[in-house]
Amino acid sequence: MLTQSEFLQPLAARRTDQVVVSTMSLVRAWGRLSKHELDFAFADSAMGHAQSLALGIALAQPRRGVLCLNGDGSMLMSLGSLVTIAQSRARNLILFVAQNNTYEVTGNQNIPGAGAVDFHAIALACGFPHAFYFDNPSDYRTQLDTLLHLQGPAFISVRLEPGAELPPNRKQTEDTPYLRGSIADSAHRLREALSIAHPGPISPL
Amino acid sequence: MLTTRRLLDSLKQIGITHVVGLPDNSTAALFHELADDPDIYLITVTREGEAFATAAGLWMGGQSPLVVIQNTGLLESGDALRGTLMRMRIPVVCLVSYRGYKSLPPTPPDPLTPDDLSRREVDSVATLLEPTLCAWNLPYELVGDNAELGKIQAAHERAQLESRPTAVVITDTIR
Repeated sequence: MLTQSEFLQPLAARRTDQVVVSTMSLVRAWGRLSKHELDFAFADSAMGHAQSLALGIALAQPRRGVLCLNGDGSMLMSLGSLVTIAQSRARNLILFVAQNNTYEVTGNQNIPGAGAVDFHAIALACGFPHAFYFDNPSDYRTQLDTLLHLQGPAFISVRLEPGAELPPNRKQTEDTPYLRGSIADSAHRLREALSIAHPGPISPL
Repeated sequence: MLTTRRLLDSLKQIGITHVVGLPDNSTAALFHELADDPDIYLITVTREGEAFATAAGLWMGGQSPLVVIQNTGLLESGDALRGTLMRMRIPVVCLVSYRGYKSLPPTPPDPLTPDDLSRREVDSVATLLEPTLCAWNLPYELVGDNAELGKIQAAHERAQLESRPTAVVITDTIR
């Protein structure tokens, strides 16, 4: 099992100019590691749809990498979207699912099928060309570079220890800057940032 | 009559780059045509909520998407609409097919009673559609003929001007 930091720190260290869409318990955790203008907190939004928003960005900007940091409870809410993503062939999209088997931000109640659901097998069955599962920090760290060079869409499920993150709110006092404005401001700002930043040819992380 | 060719022309005129949605009997011809269209990219989804979130992402990435779903799917996906296009103030037009439109009585029942929603001869999703659009504060226009296609452009312009989603409700089968 990995801690949240064992999951996110190696990713933050390798991230360059990709869009990162985070949701639920990963929003603040990612925000503590990254202050990038292409970070987007899918918070104060609609649970279960972060990966679909990330797909839209990936299809709109095929030359830019897009990473979605999803939770297992959120993923369960919209499993059909795995089929949509797989059929889209968005080669620049990597969907991470942090599998802690609980609804962490509401106090760690078990998700349905906790411990029994094999997300990466589901992703493969939905047509993802690449899907992986990690429950060991050193395996994850060692293979992350290779995984991030794959042509997606790719699905990476990581077994995490349950944490104690509270629901992500949007207010001025938040210590993570990307939670200080409204989600409308954030969405419009990201659009503007993406229209200004022109990535070169498709490049891995 | 509402025809695919004229509808597609209207969508191209306003610069639609992607259509995201799910077909039904009324919109099947449009989806069929879009599958091979060189200018508009079609993304079919498994559930309507995905369409709103994907459209939001497309817009954030600089594209100009359109959502096409049935009214049943609109009711199913209310929170996705609220939490993405509405909450994020994203100007996207949603084309919603009006299943059951022809089964509606000439005067809509007001207030609605349990009987109104269980009448065999009236499709209850049709009964609920317009009250729902009003309750959700989603501005809409009805379109059932090629002569009314200008309303799509108007809905698009309103969406841009007010930075919000708008809807065009299709009352007839697209031929």
